[in-house]
Amino acid sequence: MNTEASVMNDAHHDPGIRERDLQPQERFEDELIMHLERDQFVAETSRPVPRAALSARATAGLWALRVFVVLVSLMVIYTFIDQLR
Amino acid sequence: MATTEVAVSPGLLLPPLTEEDAVRSWDRSRVHHARGHSKRWRLLWLLVGPGILAMLGENDGPSMIAYASDGAQYGLGFFVPFIPVLFAMAYVCQEMCMRVGAVTHRGYGELVLQRYGRVWGWFGAGDLTLTNLVTLVAEFISIRVGLAYFHLGSGVAVALGLALVVFTLSGGRYWRWERIVLGMALFNGLFLLAAILVKPHVGALVSSLAFSPFPGGSFNTLLLLLASTIGATVTPWMIFFQQSACADKGMTPRDVKHGRYDTAVGAVLAAIFGVGALIAGAALRVGGHQVISGIQGFAGAGFPQALGHVAGGAAGSVFALGLIEAGAVAILTISASTAYAAGECVGVSHSFNSSPRNAIVFYAANIGVALLAAAVILIPGAPLLSIALNANVLATVLLPVSLVLMVMLANDKGLMGAWANKRSTNVIGVAVIAFVGLCGAAYGIDSFLQTIHLIGS
Repeated sequence: MNTEASVMNDAHHDPGIRERDLQPQERFEDELIMHLERDQFVAETSRPVPRAALSARATAGLWALRVFVVLVSLMVIYTFIDQLR
Repeated sequence: MATTEVAVSPGLLLPPLTEEDAVRSWDRSRVHHARGHSKRWRLLWLLVGPGILAMLGENDGPSMIAYASDGAQYGLGFFVPFIPVLFAMAYVCQEMCMRVGAVTHRGYGELVLQRYGRVWGWFGAGDLTLTNLVTLVAEFISIRVGLAYFHLGSGVAVALGLALVVFTLSGGRYWRWERIVLGMALFNGLFLLAAILVKPHVGALVSSLAFSPFPGGSFNTLLLLLASTIGATVTPWMIFFQQSACADKGMTPRDVKHGRYDTAVGAVLAAIFGVGALIAGAALRVGGHQVISGIQGFAGAGFPQALGHVAGGAAGSVFALGLIEAGAVAILTISASTAYAAGECVGVSHSFNSSPRNAIVFYAANIGVALLAAAVILIPGAPLLSIALNANVLATVLLPVSLVLMVMLANDKGLMGAWANKRSTNVIGVAVIAFVGLCGAAYGIDSFLQTIHLIGS
């Protein structure tokens, strides 16, 4: 995709472009950056958030719910297959 | 992720700008401009989208058929007030998704995976893929049923669904995708038009607001009814979709108020259109009896045709077009939720603002899951009707785990800070999870015990 950023990037590295031509481009780039919060940048969101420490009770509760849901799902799927017959 | 370095003043130490950042920033500049110039309606226009799409996307083919089926089998009583109650529940869940997405700028899948570990992240993605695949098959069936009314076959349904997926993905911008799907989703209002065309009895409508008469029939039928109706309102894909879409749109904590408007408007519209489908379905109930015989009437173009016989060709045509729209919009939103989840769990670019070259997994999952579902409805003799009817039930059964993790994320002060859930939201959230979990589990267990003949029907 030919985005504004890539166009600007090409212009910025072209040695044939003089300093005064770059100024409006740079201003525009700064504006682009200004419109995003720092933690919205892809470079920032690519960093994983720290792992939460779940209590033993919370972990046990999640596992119990997970096992229960899998069992009920299997029952629904079994019933579905039986109905097909 | 491919990055494109831009000129940044020395000392600012800003991260490198990707093409995704640049496109998102461009969209955000319009939000800043509208906010800066106090253009309230313009600001609302720019910020609505994910909430309406999640809610109207859930008014999909199987859901509208479930509502119409409720109307045809049981009449208006109980369901006219019950559907808005369910969408109020959906609002509570979806508001949390929107808030977490706007505050963290991350999707549900990646947050669960990073915060609570890979096991829970992949479990969630597995649940989503299973329910999405089944639901997508049901969406193609819905389009097929609608098209069958106009004497068009499965091939056209598949071609239409896939063409829409490819077309909406072709722009390389979230904003473009959202606006096209939003424009299509407003045609969900066809179900309201169908309800008007069947000329419902206003007195019966008003009296149904008292939650009566309560649906009769066996305990298992009642559970199936509750499970499928709940599954028509709150599902795992909505959770993944709205949070990821809010992050992809670039929403921030300053936009949470408008995000709430967006979600509320979506819930109100979805409830109105859902009740519309119910009313249209109730027209098939003449003198307390269903005109078409059983649910099998939905297999071909049965439902719109039956409606055409009872309420006129216009009502049948409008309902058939509504089914096509409902299926088409849901194919787009459900495929998108699968794509977001795939990209987030694999840890690669997952944005409509990225080009296909930079987000191969995202685009491949988006098209791939739709392609797979489309292939199923072309299999001769495939149990399409059973799949369509069971799609919502499976979603209801698998929903509680997603909801519990959602509530945990929304309560996580380390992530949410001042935007974490209030006590009242938690009370309602837990009540919703308990209700959904009980209905889904009760149906699953009761049906299973009947199937293996441990209890009678």
